[in-house]
Amino acid sequence: MKYNGIYPNKCGKFGDFGGIFAPEVLMPALCELDEAFEKYRNDESFKKEFYQILESYGGRPTPLFYAKRLSENVGCKVYLKREDLLHGGAHKLNNVIGQALLAKRMGKKKLVAETGAGQHGFATAIAGAYFGMETKVFMGKVDIARQAYNVYRMQLLGAEVIPVESGSKTLKDAINDGLRYWITNVRDTHYLMGSVVGPHPYPLLVREFQRIIGIETKKQIMELEGRLPNAIMACIGGGSNAIGIMYDFIENENVQLIGVEAAGEGLETGKHSIALGLGRRGVLHGSLMYLLQNEYGNILKSHSISAGLDYPGVGPEHCFLKELSRLRVETATDNETLESFQKLSVLEGIIPALESSHALACLEKIKGEFNKDDIVIINLSGSGSKDLNIIKQRLEFKVK
Amino acid sequence: MNDTNRILDLFNEKNSLEEKYFMPFLVCGDPSIEQFISMVKKIALYIDLLELGVPFSDPIADGPTIQEANMRAFEAGINTKVALDTIKKIRTFFTKPIVILTYYNILIQGSETIESSLDNTLRRFKESGIDGIVIADLPIEEAGLALKYCKKHDISLIFLIAPTTTDDRLEKILKEARGFIYLISILGVTGAREKVAQITKETIKRVKEKIKTRIPVFLGFGISKPEHASAVAELGADGIIIGSAIIDIIKRNLSNFNKMEQELIEFVSSIKNAIKRSN
Repeated sequence: MKYNGIYPNKCGKFGDFGGIFAPEVLMPALCELDEAFEKYRNDESFKKEFYQILESYGGRPTPLFYAKRLSENVGCKVYLKREDLLHGGAHKLNNVIGQALLAKRMGKKKLVAETGAGQHGFATAIAGAYFGMETKVFMGKVDIARQAYNVYRMQLLGAEVIPVESGSKTLKDAINDGLRYWITNVRDTHYLMGSVVGPHPYPLLVREFQRIIGIETKKQIMELEGRLPNAIMACIGGGSNAIGIMYDFIENENVQLIGVEAAGEGLETGKHSIALGLGRRGVLHGSLMYLLQNEYGNILKSHSISAGLDYPGVGPEHCFLKELSRLRVETATDNETLESFQKLSVLEGIIPALESSHALACLEKIKGEFNKDDIVIINLSGSGSKDLNIIKQRLEFKVK
Repeated sequence: MNDTNRILDLFNEKNSLEEKYFMPFLVCGDPSIEQFISMVKKIALYIDLLELGVPFSDPIADGPTIQEANMRAFEAGINTKVALDTIKKIRTFFTKPIVILTYYNILIQGSETIESSLDNTLRRFKESGIDGIVIADLPIEEAGLALKYCKKHDISLIFLIAPTTTDDRLEKILKEARGFIYLISILGVTGAREKVAQITKETIKRVKEKIKTRIPVFLGFGISKPEHASAVAELGADGIIIGSAIIDIIKRNLSNFNKMEQELIEFVSSIKNAIKRSN
């Protein structure tokens, strides 16, 4: 199938999905951003600086690691793309360096961002410090409580963390308030969107900055195995780590692409974040996508043990890829995720982020589909050190 | 009740745009459905058009005042169906134009496809008695379907113009705009402010110069006092829209409904008087 370079179209559409559903006040800023991105995406000096920073400062390329003991355990060859080893402890750095560099070239002085788990806020604080740009991070009160460690890290880097009291006080409300702030300060401020959501051009530019994951992965697996993987698996909240690793494999139709959504406490409880699997089409945060919503179009509260997946929508490109039957959508519950989290820690000495553990949990569920020689690559999008407080409440060890 | 559009009638019959118009904004169902209807009855005399917010859970263009009003309305049980019933009740005594303000997602649910939902929802709103609609997150670039079905159901699709709207886009918007132009006076979300922004004057002038047809310009966002109202009327706006300052009155008097209504009447009549004087 021919895909790369076609989507989104000039209007930001992936089929029916995406678009620019934004208040009028933001339209000029979005057009300006679109123009700037089109100008710099093929600019050699921009690309060079972007990669240079990710190498020397971020630690790219990240390893593609053959997880030997996990492979023996599940019965196929499992490789982990170690985005957890990127500076900041997650794939988020790729996007923030890209956007902050773009903002700098556009002459913007300040960065504003939303954050759920705190990973994107922390990454934005890193970029703010690196580029010397004033940084404000909007974060839901509920998330501030469950991610105190990340709040502290952001503050340590000089960013201002602004608590969000509106709505469900989580990621979606942090985006609302962040966008409201941007509406009021649009002239000198860049809104640094943390995932492949939001109005055009965000889903496009976040994908382009995250693509480095898949480009590296492809090269690495060819060097290591001389063939492409049978499947690539990644967790999906907004979807940036998933599209990042998957994009350069979309045209390789023999590579299964499997996105894993958070089933939270279980489908039947209604406490989940399965927007792709169970959502209906709608418009939120500037983009047409699958959404968890009631019959009247009001957005429902999502749930997941991992704040990074706790979002009632999902990137428009994932919606489109699902519709094309190119993306397979699976789920993992909080409990399944915790088991896989612990398993990887014990088997490989790697503590994965709760987000990434959803992909590991899904592999556990579908491992019977793979043969011994089949290759499965999992995007280990982040490190679990940020999650230890949450894990500790569920998993206690005794000192004998 | 379906075959007229009161906005177009209002601006036609005068045949000149010398009068200044006042359109207050209330959130439908705030603080309760009954109290809301009662308030509309009380202020009906002093207003020229009525703007009703049909709440959305995630209103990114609105400041804290209107967000809180939305929450009160949700608690009072508002949703699309209840809003339609409420507008029908208002239509039993209110004959002036009604404009609703909402977000796109509210309009595209309920039927099989987005297009059929939009067709259906707009038809139901028209039948309930609305004349115009403002969709806060629908820029001209995405407005194709909404224009088609607003035309079909004889609803004026009212577009917002901001101080940052470029001339290029301004022309595109003016080509499709019906009813009136909703000019955002400031760079920001809704909310009462102490002063009328400097940016207002040049924006009104710029927009007025571009207008080729006879479409009135209403100014909203940030207007909170009779002095503001008369000032912006003098700057050349044909109408003013006040939301957050009115909702502040509701919020201040939640425990005393009589006082709430009394203050509301005083406020809206003072605004109407202020713009009358500047005529």
